[in-house]
Amino acid sequence: MSTSDWQDRYYDIDQVLNTPGPRTDPAFLAGDGVKDFLRNQAKILVIGAGGLGCEILANLALTGFKDIHVIDMDTIDISNLNRQFLFRQKDVGKPKAIVAAEFIMKRVPGVKVTPYFGKIQDKGDDYYLQFNLVICGLDSVEARRWMSATLVNLVDPENPESLKPLIDGGTEGFKGQARVILPTITSCYECSLDMLNKPTAFPICTIANTPRLPEHCIEWASVLEWPRVHGEKKVDTDDPEHIGWLYTTAAARAKEFNIEGVTWSLTQGVVKNIIPAIASTNAIIAASCCNEAFKIATSSAAYLNNYFMLIGTEGVYSYTFEHEKRDDCPVCGGESLELPISSEFTVEQLIELLVEKQDVQIKKPSLSTPTSQIYLQAPPQLEQATRPNLSKKVKELVSEGGEVTVTSTSLPFSLSLRITYTN
Amino acid sequence: MATTDSIDITAAQAQPDSKTRRYDRQLRLWAASGQSALENARLLVISGSATSTSVLKNLVLPGVGHFTILDPANVTHRDAGNNFFLEGDSSIGKSRAEEAVRLLAELNEGVEGKADTSSLEHILDTNPGYFASYTLVIAHNLEPKLLARLSTLLWADDTLPILVVVNSDGFLGEFFIQFHEHTIIESHSETAPSLRIDKAFPALYDYATSLDFASMDPTDHTHVPYVVILVRALADWEAAHDGKAPQTSADKKAFKEAVQAMKIKFDEENFDEAEAQAYRCWTETGVPSDITALFQDPQLSKLGPTSPPFYHLLDALRQFTLLPPHTLPLSSTLPDMKANTSSYIHLQKLYKTRAEEEKATLKGFLTVPIDDAMVDSFVKNAHGLKVLRGKKWGALDAEPASLASAVASSPKAAATHLALSALSSVSSPTPSVEALTAAAQALLPPGIELPDEFSDAVGEIARAPNADLPNTAAFLGGLVAQEVIKMITKQYVPIDGYCVVDLIETWTGMV
Repeated sequence: MSTSDWQDRYYDIDQVLNTPGPRTDPAFLAGDGVKDFLRNQAKILVIGAGGLGCEILANLALTGFKDIHVIDMDTIDISNLNRQFLFRQKDVGKPKAIVAAEFIMKRVPGVKVTPYFGKIQDKGDDYYLQFNLVICGLDSVEARRWMSATLVNLVDPENPESLKPLIDGGTEGFKGQARVILPTITSCYECSLDMLNKPTAFPICTIANTPRLPEHCIEWASVLEWPRVHGEKKVDTDDPEHIGWLYTTAAARAKEFNIEGVTWSLTQGVVKNIIPAIASTNAIIAASCCNEAFKIATSSAAYLNNYFMLIGTEGVYSYTFEHEKRDDCPVCGGESLELPISSEFTVEQLIELLVEKQDVQIKKPSLSTPTSQIYLQAPPQLEQATRPNLSKKVKELVSEGGEVTVTSTSLPFSLSLRITYTN
Repeated sequence: MATTDSIDITAAQAQPDSKTRRYDRQLRLWAASGQSALENARLLVISGSATSTSVLKNLVLPGVGHFTILDPANVTHRDAGNNFFLEGDSSIGKSRAEEAVRLLAELNEGVEGKADTSSLEHILDTNPGYFASYTLVIAHNLEPKLLARLSTLLWADDTLPILVVVNSDGFLGEFFIQFHEHTIIESHSETAPSLRIDKAFPALYDYATSLDFASMDPTDHTHVPYVVILVRALADWEAAHDGKAPQTSADKKAFKEAVQAMKIKFDEENFDEAEAQAYRCWTETGVPSDITALFQDPQLSKLGPTSPPFYHLLDALRQFTLLPPHTLPLSSTLPDMKANTSSYIHLQKLYKTRAEEEKATLKGFLTVPIDDAMVDSFVKNAHGLKVLRGKKWGALDAEPASLASAVASSPKAAATHLALSALSSVSSPTPSVEALTAAAQALLPPGIELPDEFSDAVGEIARAPNADLPNTAAFLGGLVAQEVIKMITKQYVPIDGYCVVDLIETWTGMV
């Protein structure tokens, strides 16, 4: 027992650590061994100190994890305060990871939380290898793909310690999901990309010529008018002056076209792609993630296999199922993805397809075959050198059944395609 | 091109105040009306347990008006270990209600929190009027005898607060909402209201049939909204088919071909949209059956000046649907579709004008004054109206036949419910599996066996008969707060029955 553990501190938790239940794995070693592992040895990493992250940190600390690390690159905004309960008005502008870590250490004695204010991509394999478990509470698809792929790549079949269970949570309004990923063994984040909702995209010709909705006017202001007026300067969606400019510009266009409904809130919602978020849904999903972490770390009960989906808009509806691994998953599958295309397809059209295709969704892909480069996004010299290929037909560059490797700087893996022609 | 400074729109006026900014992410779910309901609500939470404070945290953050924690206990060693709203061992020995209120109130300056260290039993004995000032009462793991008294008291009169009963142990938990009646206008239904293409209102019909597609400018032709195309195609079809819409699958195919034949260029996407939406021409718009069912509500047959506005509106709606074309009032919301600005805005105006007219007709049936905002909202959400009738807490366990049918229809959830009910009915602090099984069996009618899943549930209870686990507390805290928000805002649809939670296999179910 460490010094901060007063008597009966873990009276409630110890009930499930002292005795197995009917659904506990026979390998569970009830008693002091498991408590010692949980409280003195386990090292856990939390990605994100936002809506889910705050909840996750509090739950982990209360359940007895004492060596917790947290990464977050954001600072606190006033709109976080309706749910990110470790932050107060006075903390606005400060780094989330640091404020959250301090709060937990102050509130839950004897727990050490080590914050890192920065990006997950700043850290290498050695860093991630030190943890027993990783929990992600992120709102970014890119970051989740990166984390999932990194943990899959980390697995060394010779070293069982290299397999780091990843628990991932996500919420949107009254809905959310939690899942357990055992890298290389169960379905990974990339395997389930096609389950994501398609982001709303407005065709550029609608925005430019035939606006009908207030959203079209806002997109016009941010996508077309802003660069025309401000040149190279990027929109800062956290700067009220920038939002104000977009709002007035969009509202003026809406007035010109007799379109109703451009408001500040809608403008902000569209340009920041705001997802509604509340404390209660985050609490449910974070609790589920931490409960899985607790069960995995202690073996005190079976853990989720492997996906829990919650819809709270009409009653409480949930669905627990096993999401299947994809054999052609570019991260954990091993097989290349079969892609039938028309022999008329140009390289540019292929790139467009890769950006949009639900199970691929690779932004700014670079393409090559085993013997040649088709199109590279960077560096500029190579981009320029391969640019003429964009208008060529794929068939001129890749034979039937040929392999194409797709890479992107935003992802730590490459996708292998096998191209076939439909005509 | 418009210049922004020539128009009277200023960013400074539109920028939201700090309260709106703080609540931005939730206002996108329940809007100012929901927020105001929340801010006017008063909650009473019985006990300052880990589960209770987890529920409260999720209600203080979004800005509930007031909360009271009723709890005579002082913080014990175990409380200090499992409750985030206590300050570790430094809270030990202090009032649990006072400590929890202090640390919860810190989350939101706009919320008023109060600690009451009286005992519930004393209040029930001496001051039963105590509860009337609250909107909703939440009770966690309350002693069965007190819970029975409390639920009976609050059930006696439908002006008394709603009661939310939460029971949990180890990895298992459940909760139940006791309410008499709950009406919902803004259910946030995900089905869109009908565009009534099959029953086009006169202005829409006239517009669609007056268009001269043949001599139209080709650019305009590519931008006729699909709604107009379909109304026109249907009018043409009906003129050639004795006034009947397409009926057989051959008809439907021919109709779609006729729509395609209206194209003057192969890539006119508006006609492709029309073909894809053609089913709207032969899917008759009527009053949805769950709305018709509401017209049978007993409240309508005894409608009087003191009836709630919802039922006055429902009765006006009923009368409205008796008029041709026997539909719900038209919605003014038009989805986006391929069109140029002028044709889309024109169509939108036609819908808005008609929707206003129909709303006025509906208002004409009202016999009491109701504010416009409510009428607007009612008409706009007419396709998703809900009336829920609740039960008294404990009613299920008192009806062996209902329990038996729950066991048959949802054995897993029923097994967990029975195990938790058994735990509260046995007096031993460390009950055996046998004692719990006997207690659960006693709730069922003779001859009905406990479901197979019962052994898994009861084994967990016997393993940890007295554990308020932080993760279970947080999970239930989220679920209960979510349902409380739905009850208070009267938006979205709350649960109807017991919501049961198993955090071993991680599922939720309803009994």
